[in-house]
Amino acid sequence: MSAAVAERIDDDLWSAIGDPTRRRMLDLLLVDGDGTATTLSGQLPVTRQAVAKQLGVLDRVGLVRATPAGREKRYRVDDAQLARAVAQLSAVGAAWDARLQRIKRIAEAIQRSQDG
Amino acid sequence: MEFGTIEREIYIEADPEVVFEVVSSPDHLEQWWPDEARYDPVPGATGDIVFGERDAGGTVVQFAVVDAEPPRTFSFRWTQPADQPAVEGNSLLVTFELTPSRGGTLLKMTESGFREMGWEAALLEQQYLEHATGWDFYLPRLAPYVASLEVRP
Repeated sequence: MSAAVAERIDDDLWSAIGDPTRRRMLDLLLVDGDGTATTLSGQLPVTRQAVAKQLGVLDRVGLVRATPAGREKRYRVDDAQLARAVAQLSAVGAAWDARLQRIKRIAEAIQRSQDG
Repeated sequence: MEFGTIEREIYIEADPEVVFEVVSSPDHLEQWWPDEARYDPVPGATGDIVFGERDAGGTVVQFAVVDAEPPRTFSFRWTQPADQPAVEGNSLLVTFELTPSRGGTLLKMTESGFREMGWEAALLEQQYLEHATGWDFYLPRLAPYVASLEVRP
């Protein structure tokens, strides 16, 4: 896979997981183990058609895997791909943790010098 | 977990006025984040921050102050294209909120815009992680800095 293609997939992965309805669907799939457009729409304030469309988005970026289930498809979360998305954001959070620790040390050093 | 937004809180044993200076002034910013920071810490001001050396292959990143209300709020946008004003969708928004607490300051940091900007922006952030972690890099520059503060009249 070329770097450009990999980056494109990362972008799509990011925007797929950025939508609140899709995140809620992922949560439900994680809790229930699996689900179809019908079972998910029963737990969400959106139509079955809308859920099916969002499942398609999640499927294209590899966050869910589909297996045929009668006239519908049954979806499960792809744990590896979800972990990958979470890890990417965690790295950015870790960078801020380090910056905030430095802010704390600098501010506390200034405060001590003023008090002292 | 809220994807696309990073939120952190840290308690600092220093007055909000002191913390505000540290999170907002370009001189202080250079002590905890970029190698160089050029901007006026007033609302609407634009400038840049540099990782590495400006004239020796460093990365110059656009920086625009959104809000500055000492000692309560400081916010800025960064990573916008050099030829465009910073708006939602082309930049990351960082907001510092300071609240007096237990004789010190509760500092809340929020960075948002990843969802609108896509993953490329998060990768940009991640590449700063290498030299942002660990005190191997920062201790040598911080120690003389703190010493210089202590001799101030």
